[in-house]
Amino acid sequence: MEPVPAHISSITRPVDRLMTYYVLTALMTFVAFPVTMLILYFRYHTMRYLFSEEGIRRSWGILFRHEVLLNYARIQDIHLRSNAVERALGLARIEIQTASGSSASVMTLEGLTDPERMRDFLYSRMRGATEARHHTEEGLAAAIHEVAHQLRAVRQALEKRK
Amino acid sequence: MTAYLLRLLRVPPEPQAPDGSPESIRVFRAGRNYYRWRMIVWAFSQIFVVLSGLAFLGSFAFIVRKLPPMVLTVMVAVDVVAIAFLVIGIPFTYLLQRLNYELRWYIATDRSLRIRSGIWSVEELTMTFANIQDLKITAGPLQGWLGIADLEVSSAGGGGVSAGGKHGGTESSHTAKFAGVDNAVEIRDLIVERLKRYRDAGLGDAPVDLGGAAAELLAEARSLRQTVTAVDPPSTASV
Repeated sequence: MEPVPAHISSITRPVDRLMTYYVLTALMTFVAFPVTMLILYFRYHTMRYLFSEEGIRRSWGILFRHEVLLNYARIQDIHLRSNAVERALGLARIEIQTASGSSASVMTLEGLTDPERMRDFLYSRMRGATEARHHTEEGLAAAIHEVAHQLRAVRQALEKRK
Repeated sequence: MTAYLLRLLRVPPEPQAPDGSPESIRVFRAGRNYYRWRMIVWAFSQIFVVLSGLAFLGSFAFIVRKLPPMVLTVMVAVDVVAIAFLVIGIPFTYLLQRLNYELRWYIATDRSLRIRSGIWSVEELTMTFANIQDLKITAGPLQGWLGIADLEVSSAGGGGVSAGGKHGGTESSHTAKFAGVDNAVEIRDLIVERLKRYRDAGLGDAPVDLGGAAAELLAEARSLRQTVTAVDPPSTASV
């Protein structure tokens, strides 16, 4: 398996700007501000990412802990979303879908330094993004045909010598 | 005005095509009539909201004696302000409708799709053909008359959630929607053609004859052995 590029594997924490966005989000809830702020504050400070060779692990939470693990190869769709406030702060979310039976995204990557680069990386690891001919049955059949073809050529060469 | 708004909202420029062979990239846009369709739907919704606001205002005449004048004055004032805001907002919502039509890209490469839409909330969806399960073309009577249709491309996964019933459609996040294209059939045929390369995709299933290939290899190996034996007989025979 191809190693994960350094600019991806080095990501373990969301960027500081995410906290700014969380404060703005909490302000939008008016009276519920103290509660929302507290939740988002801990969410931000406990959020961890791990980009391994097989997949992504994201964990957050202090009282209610969450940890989500998924494999790159199982990604179905990649959504890159942003509202105007997020864009003003230079943020975007990447929502990842697998084939599980819910329409809510399985994992949301928030607070990335370069969301577009992350999207390109995830895309490159998706099933069907690169030509992987010999990993499939089709590739195996093609390889067998090729061996048969080579053997035939050897036999014909031998027959000529006779 | 438009350029200023786009800068203000930091709407990203035209999306990049996902990795694929460069000559296979096709960029589709919403049809001209999609704009007309949006305008019609938008105009009707604006008229409906303004009329219901006026009807609400008119209904105050009947309850004039039942409420304290103070409360009534406040309610009338709120309603008038709401209607005024709506009317003032018409040029702005018109512009958003217009931009929503203009800033839509549907990109297909030889192995994936990318859909980009939205102004305030910008959304971009990427999916590979290897994960596609089904294709669907839908068109309402008005869309049919205008010669446009929606092409929906779905990947695996359930939970189709009704999108607030805004235009009565269901939208799942597992679905890439080519909204309002005037060549839906052509795009569908293009995708189906490209899907055929992915034999393990939901569409484009075709049996791979692995056993046949192995049998051919065995037959070839066997006849090679016979040839070798004939050309160079085993040493025991030559003694």
